[in-house]
Amino acid sequence: MQEKTNEMIKIFIDKEPVDAEEGTTVLKAAERAGIHIPHLCYHPAFPPEGSCRMCLVEIEGFPKLELACSTVVKEEMKISTKSERVVEARKAVLEFLLAEHPLDCPICDKAGDCKLQDYYDEYGLFESQFKEAKEKREKKLKIGKSLILDQERCILCTRCVRFLKEVTKTQDLGVFHRGVHSSVNIYEGASVENNYSGNLAEICPVGAITDEDFRFKTRSWFLKEGESICPLCSRGCNILIEYHPGFSRFELPKRVYRIKARENPEVNGFWICDRGRYGYSYLDERRADQIIMNKKEGENELTCENISRHLGEKIKNLSSARKTSGIALILHTWLSNEELFLLHEIFKNDLKVEKIFFADLPDGEADGFLLTSEPSPNRRGAQEIGFDIKTVDLGALADGTDFLLAFGPFLSGLFSSKDLRGALDKIKTKVLFSSNSNELNSLFDVVIPVALIAEKEGSLTNVEGIVQGFQPVLEPPGESLPEWKVLSDLGKELGMDSKFYSEFTSPEAILSEMGKKIPFFKKKND
Amino acid sequence: MSPEFSEKTKKKIEEIVARYPQKEAAILPILHITQQEFGSISAEEEKLVARILGIKPISVRELVTFYTMFPKESLGKYHIQVCSNLSCSLLGAGNFVDYLVEKLGIKPGETTPDKKFTLSTVECLGACERAPCMMINFNYYGEMDPKKVDEILDGLK
Repeated sequence: MQEKTNEMIKIFIDKEPVDAEEGTTVLKAAERAGIHIPHLCYHPAFPPEGSCRMCLVEIEGFPKLELACSTVVKEEMKISTKSERVVEARKAVLEFLLAEHPLDCPICDKAGDCKLQDYYDEYGLFESQFKEAKEKREKKLKIGKSLILDQERCILCTRCVRFLKEVTKTQDLGVFHRGVHSSVNIYEGASVENNYSGNLAEICPVGAITDEDFRFKTRSWFLKEGESICPLCSRGCNILIEYHPGFSRFELPKRVYRIKARENPEVNGFWICDRGRYGYSYLDERRADQIIMNKKEGENELTCENISRHLGEKIKNLSSARKTSGIALILHTWLSNEELFLLHEIFKNDLKVEKIFFADLPDGEADGFLLTSEPSPNRRGAQEIGFDIKTVDLGALADGTDFLLAFGPFLSGLFSSKDLRGALDKIKTKVLFSSNSNELNSLFDVVIPVALIAEKEGSLTNVEGIVQGFQPVLEPPGESLPEWKVLSDLGKELGMDSKFYSEFTSPEAILSEMGKKIPFFKKKND
Repeated sequence: MSPEFSEKTKKKIEEIVARYPQKEAAILPILHITQQEFGSISAEEEKLVARILGIKPISVRELVTFYTMFPKESLGKYHIQVCSNLSCSLLGAGNFVDYLVEKLGIKPGETTPDKKFTLSTVECLGACERAPCMMINFNYYGEMDPKKVDEILDGLK
């Protein structure tokens, strides 16, 4: 995925001198200089195709207009992207593309982020001369587990065909027939069945391939997007979360409507897998949003604000009675680097707690491309911080434990509720931090609702050791709060090294402190 | 039952494949052979060709549907192709096609129930000087009119 650095040459785009890499194309050179040349079939992941003809530009000394996507730059090349000839040609190309395109934008999911629509608005605006009837084609051909192909909307850019040929190598789609009868199609009885099929709806520049998961659910202009990291495996793919900021007039069934890939050549290129794309229901379903108290805790009412003081007192009591061997911890690797670091400092380094277990979902199978076998995003981070990833052993957990601090909802997936209850009943005090409600809620004394990765700030270490930061995209629901906040307050509360903990006002500050202690987390450019 | 090439054809295919640096480059000549051997190229034949060349059936389908000379279903004994392009249309090809439709009782693209005739309209046959013109299998017939076509068709067995 690395591009080698070639020598730079000088070209002129719209009379402005521009530095361009030798061997690059006019389109890429313009993009680098911040000049957008309209295109539909070109996608940076694939070699130029040159089928849509939208990227025509005028080059001095060339008799005809040339394709910006496939023309290689030459020293002193003079390119116009806005000349009268170019503007006219673009208009004509759009008129041809739209001759067979149904104007069903009002019922098309792509409306609002459709490139054809945008370009018509920007460069088209012609009076249609097309009086003939448009060809009838298949409008809702199911081509994959959640993909619908509308051949009438298709402009034959073949991005989908090329994706399936070059990325997944499954070749499920092809272009059948020719001329006006050409259409993207699937072999009878076949179906796009791979873990990357959702990318097709994303790279389709028009509404020809739509996603049943999103189809007719909302309109793209209602949605806002925020950058995040996919937490569903340890690849750490960069994603965009598209969510509904909500109308005050009516309640919406959910906040998140779509996950899209965000380009990062180091991690995921342009793609994400279907598991990451469609597995976002945990963000809205069964969210824990209020503190739950199953056992009366003294005279004070517990709140998310005073929880760290309460926990601090409990731990201090155990500590002064030299009973820290009665403390046990259950962690998971959805916690950020910063949170795991605080846990490591407080419990492993300072309190010398030995019973530290991890409860993550069981390992799955890697697919050989992006999806890894680890179904959580930060196992590598936990290892680099110094944790030994031991899966929960219920016998060892309950043996001699008075105080259990557990994180995450995953414990319930690992053991039967009978076994869990048996083990947990032996422990006097047990507190759970969890983002999503499940049967665990009734097994702990206190359940504190916490924010998910999409709702807090921090960093994760992916399977290859790349540390990636993330910022909150969504509001944490109800009273829920990020774990790092509770943990840094707890550190202060325990008064172990007040100077050390008082600096931790943000995950960023924690990460920079981590860099000093653990060379792995030292910023590369420091 | 899936179709198989005869031993003789298999040998011929091997020879053709050997001519090209890449196996799949031999696809067009092999499709012509398939067409000769089976009379049509349906999904079964596509899969056969795909297997021989080590490619996916969909790649064969793309070519088979792109070209007009690989029919999906078997043609009649006599394939009548009538030009419907400019010169022929100006000289009455439209009426001429209508006459054939009435005489044979089939529309363009169809085959008579006795599998004797298939009627197609095609673009230019490259014989404008003899418009309106048609082809029956590999023979050209020019300056057509209903009377002439009656004579020609009646002479075919």
